[in-house]
Amino acid sequence: MSTVDWKNYTPVLIPDIKNLDQIDVYRDNGGYQALKTVLTDSEKWPDRKSVIEEVKAANIRGRGGAGFNAGLKWSFMPPSDGGPRYLACNGDESEPGTFKDRALFEYNPHLFVEGALIGAYAIEATAIYVYIRGEYKYFIDKVQKAIDDAYANGLIGKNILGTDFSCDFYVVAGAGAYICGEETSMLESIEGKRGYPRVKPPFPAQKGLWGRPTTINNVETLAHVPAVINKGADWFTSIGAKNHPGPILYGISGHVNNPGVYELPTGVPVLDLIHEVAGGMRNGKKLKALIPGGSSTPVVRADQLEGITMDSESLRSVGTMLGTAGMVVMDEDTDMVEMLWRISKFYHHESCGQCTPCRDGTGWLQKILKKIKDGEGEIKDLDLLLDITTQMEGRTICALADAAAWPVRHTITRFRDEFEARCKKSVFAVA
Amino acid sequence: MPEIFIDGQRYEFEGEHRVLQFIQDLGKEVPFFCYHPAMSAPANCRQCFVKAGQYVKDRETGEYELDEEGNRTIRWFPKLQTSCNLQMVDGMVIHTQETDEQVARAQKDTLEFLLINHPLDCPICDQAGECPLQIQTYKYGPEGSRFEVKKVHRPKRVRLGPRVILDAERCINCTRCVRFTDEISKSHQLTIVQRGDNNFPITAPGREFDDPYSLNTVDICPVGALTAADFRFKARVWEMNQTPSIDMTNGKGTNIDLWTRDNIVLRITPRYNKEVNDHWMPDEARTAYTLFNENRISRPLQKLDGEQVLSSWNNAYATLMEQLEEVKPAEVLLVGSPHASVEENYALAKFANLNGYRKPVFLRNEEKGKADGFLLTDDLAPNTNGCILLGFDELTPAEFSAEAEKAGLIILVHDDFISREVLTAGQLDGKYTVIFASNHTKTTKAADLVIPVTTAAEHAASYVNVEGRIQRTFRAKETKYNKRRLDMEMSEGRLDRYGTNFDNWVNEDNKIDCLPLWTFISNLTGYMGTEITLEDGRLIMSEIASTIDAFNGVSYAKMDENSGIQLDTEKVSKKVES
Repeated sequence: MSTVDWKNYTPVLIPDIKNLDQIDVYRDNGGYQALKTVLTDSEKWPDRKSVIEEVKAANIRGRGGAGFNAGLKWSFMPPSDGGPRYLACNGDESEPGTFKDRALFEYNPHLFVEGALIGAYAIEATAIYVYIRGEYKYFIDKVQKAIDDAYANGLIGKNILGTDFSCDFYVVAGAGAYICGEETSMLESIEGKRGYPRVKPPFPAQKGLWGRPTTINNVETLAHVPAVINKGADWFTSIGAKNHPGPILYGISGHVNNPGVYELPTGVPVLDLIHEVAGGMRNGKKLKALIPGGSSTPVVRADQLEGITMDSESLRSVGTMLGTAGMVVMDEDTDMVEMLWRISKFYHHESCGQCTPCRDGTGWLQKILKKIKDGEGEIKDLDLLLDITTQMEGRTICALADAAAWPVRHTITRFRDEFEARCKKSVFAVA
Repeated sequence: MPEIFIDGQRYEFEGEHRVLQFIQDLGKEVPFFCYHPAMSAPANCRQCFVKAGQYVKDRETGEYELDEEGNRTIRWFPKLQTSCNLQMVDGMVIHTQETDEQVARAQKDTLEFLLINHPLDCPICDQAGECPLQIQTYKYGPEGSRFEVKKVHRPKRVRLGPRVILDAERCINCTRCVRFTDEISKSHQLTIVQRGDNNFPITAPGREFDDPYSLNTVDICPVGALTAADFRFKARVWEMNQTPSIDMTNGKGTNIDLWTRDNIVLRITPRYNKEVNDHWMPDEARTAYTLFNENRISRPLQKLDGEQVLSSWNNAYATLMEQLEEVKPAEVLLVGSPHASVEENYALAKFANLNGYRKPVFLRNEEKGKADGFLLTDDLAPNTNGCILLGFDELTPAEFSAEAEKAGLIILVHDDFISREVLTAGQLDGKYTVIFASNHTKTTKAADLVIPVTTAAEHAASYVNVEGRIQRTFRAKETKYNKRRLDMEMSEGRLDRYGTNFDNWVNEDNKIDCLPLWTFISNLTGYMGTEITLEDGRLIMSEIASTIDAFNGVSYAKMDENSGIQLDTEKVSKKVES
C-alpha cells in the first residue's frame, strides 16, 4: 500500500505567513497572480474553456462533501445569453464536526476571493455570492474587508485588471439554519426566501439564482483554483490520493491532544492523523470510534481503522464517506447512545420541514433515542429505529433525511451491544 | 406517437404531461396531498411515489433492447419518484401501488409519518368525512401505530383572519394554502414559519389573513387545519346534501355547491368549471348562504290600513286581480329584474303580453370598481344579460323614477330600489305596488302586496352571466309545496333517505311558504280566465328556446351536459362589461 508522503507537504491554502489576510501581504506572496494570468495571458489561457479544462483535469473534487469534479460542474453552464449568471459560494458549513472554511476566512480570505473570481471568469458569471453562516460574524466581516480591499485594488468590479471582464462580489450572511447549506436551499436563502431545498430538475446550472444559470461551489473548492492555475493540473493530481487528489483541510476535533484545522494531502492514514498530526489521544485513552467527515457520515469503530486512509475509496471499504473531512475522534469513555441522541437532536432541530419523511422522521428518531438514553427503551425500539431510517432514506427532496438517517442506522448496527445494554430487559425469556 | 406503460398497460399521449395528472385523468388513482392541478407541484408531501423507469432502446436501431427471456429491459430510476412533478417521456414505465409492493410500502410509510404528529381528532374535526388524509389512511395507510412517544404540540384555534381559523397541529405542511395566496389570489399573505415538525402556515406578525378569496384555502386544505370561522362545528359533512348551483352575488356566474341539512343552507363551496371560475370562489359569495335561510318572506303579505299583515294565497290572487282591473293596461308598469332568473323574467313578460301591458323594463345593479379581474364583477346581479336577451328595455334610475311617477300599478321583482335609493317610499304612495320577493327589504316593507317567491336554492332556473354563459341551478331545499322524496331531481342526503317525519331532525319550520314566480303567474292567469301554463323551469326554457332567437338550442339537458352554454353575445344589444 502506497502511503501519501504527508510529512514533507508544504501548505498552500493556509501557509504559515503572518498577516496573509491583508491584501498587501497576500499580493507580496504571489496573490492574485493566477487571476492576472488568466485574464491577461492570452497565450497560456486563450479562452474561458481552457481554464475550465485545466480545472477539470486537476480533478478538484468538491470539498463540501459530495466530491463532484469542480471543472466538470463548471462545464455544465449553458452558453451565455447576455443575461446575468451567477457563481454562488457555499460557506455555510454548519455540519457538526466541520470547521475548515473558517480557517480560510480567517487566515487567507483573498485566496478564496481569487479562486472565486477565476471561477466566475470561467463560467462567465456576472456576480458572485458567498453565503456564510450567520454565526461566523467575525469571519463575515473579514471576508467583507477582503472583498472591499479587492474592489479598491481594481480586482473586483467593472473591467477587472483593465480587461473587459466585470464581476461583482456580495457577502450574504445566513441566519443559523443548517438546511441553508444545502445548495438549492442556499439559493432560496440568498434570494431572501425561506430556505426550502428546491426540486431538481431544473438544476441550478439551468435555473439557479433568480431563475438564471448558477454554479455552486464550496469555499474550499474555489480556494484550490489559484494553485491549480499557477502550478498546473499535474501538480495538483500528483498530491494525495489518486482518485481524490490535492491538498485538503482536515478539521480534527474530539478527544485528541491538538484539535484544529490541518492542511495536508488527501489520503493520509486516519491513524496518522489522529496520533501524529493531532498529537494523539487525550489523556492517553484508547480510540473507540471515528466520524470521518462531519456528523452525517457513518461512524466507524476503532478496530476497523487500521490502514484506512482519508479518501473516498478507502473510507467506502469500511462503510463510510470522506464528507467534509471534519473528523470527530471519540475515546473509550464516549457514550455512543448519548452521542447518537445528540446528533439526532441536531437533525431534528435543523430539518426544514418541507418533506414528510424528514419532518416527522427526524423528530421520531430523536424521541426514541431520548427514551433509550433515559433507560426507558426496549429492544424493539432499536429495530423500530432501523425501520424508520429505511423509511426516510432516499425519499426526500434533499439529502438531509439521509444525513439524519445514516448516523442512526450505522451507529446502532456498529455499536448495537451498547444500545441493547441501555434498554430495559425483555420480559420474554429467550429460548 | 409517444407511449407510456402504467401498471403494464400501454397508453399513448401527446404533448407535455405529468404522471400524476395523467393517471388521474385515466380515472386511476395515486394518493397525494400537496399537489393541486391549478398550482405548482412542490413535491413535498412525498405521498404520490411511483416506481419509474425507461425501456432501454438501442441508440442505433431505435428498437427496444431485450433480455435473455425476450422481455424488454427496463432501466429503473435509482429512487422512487414523486409522480406529481415527473414529466412523461416516450417509453416510460410506471408502477403504481397497484402493482408494486415497494411503492405501496413507501406510501404507507409516508402516511405513518404524517399521522404520528397528527392529533387524530377526527370525531371533533370538521374535515372528517371529506378529508383526504382520512380517506387515504383508510385506503393506503398502516394499521395501528408504532408511535409511543409524545406528539408535537403546536398552536390551536388561531384566528388567521376574519374568516379562517387555524389548527396548526392538524397541519401536514402541504403548503397548498401558501401557494394559493402566492399563485392564485396573489395576496402573499401566508407563509410557513418555524422548522421541521414545528412548521405551520401563518400571516406576517400583526397582519390579518383578509384576502377576499381566503376561504378557498379551507377547501383545498387536505386536513382540518384551516376551517371556516363561520361553518365550524355546524354540521358533519355526511349529514348534508350537496346540490349544484350558481352564485347569486355577482355577474360572474361562479359555479357553486349548496350544502343543506334540514332545509337550511349551511355553506357554499365552489364547483369546478374551467370556463368560469376554475376551482375558486370569492369569500363574499360564500357568506351569501344566509340569504337562503334568514329574513325570508313566508306567506303573502298585504297592506291593510297602512299596516302589512300576513295574508293567504287566495287573498293575494283575488286582491291582485281586483287591482289590475282598476287601472288601464297602459298604466301597469312591470319591472323585471337582473336578480331573477331568465324563466321568472320570461313569465313576467308573457303575463304582460297576454294582458296587453307594456313589456317589462329593468335596471341594472352595478357597483363601479368592484371588479378585480378575477371572480368579482362590477355587476351585482347574476342575470343582467338574461334581461337584455329577453329584450327588456333597460332604464336608468332617473328614467325609471319618471316612469314610476306616471304608472298606476307597479309590479317589482326582488330589486330593493328603496335601499339602492332609486325610489323613495313616498314615490310609491298612492300607487298600488306589488313585489315578488324572497327576503324582507325596505322595498317590500313599503309594498302593498308582497308575494313570496322561491330563491335560487328552491327552484331550478337559469341565469346568463357577464360573459353570456347560461347556467342553471337545481332545487336544493324544499318549500311547503315540494318534497325531496317525490322530486327526482333533488339530491337526497342520509337524513332524507333514512329519517321519517317523526325523527326529530325533520323540521317543518325550515320550509318556506313560497311559490316559484311562474307558478304564481300561471295560477293568477287561471283565475283571470286567460290561462297560460308555466309549469317548471325546464319546460319554460324549452318554450323560450323555441320562441326567442338568442336562446336557440338551449335546454336543461344541454346545460347539464356541458356545465352551461355560451350564448351568442353578438345578439346582446348592449354588452355588459365584466
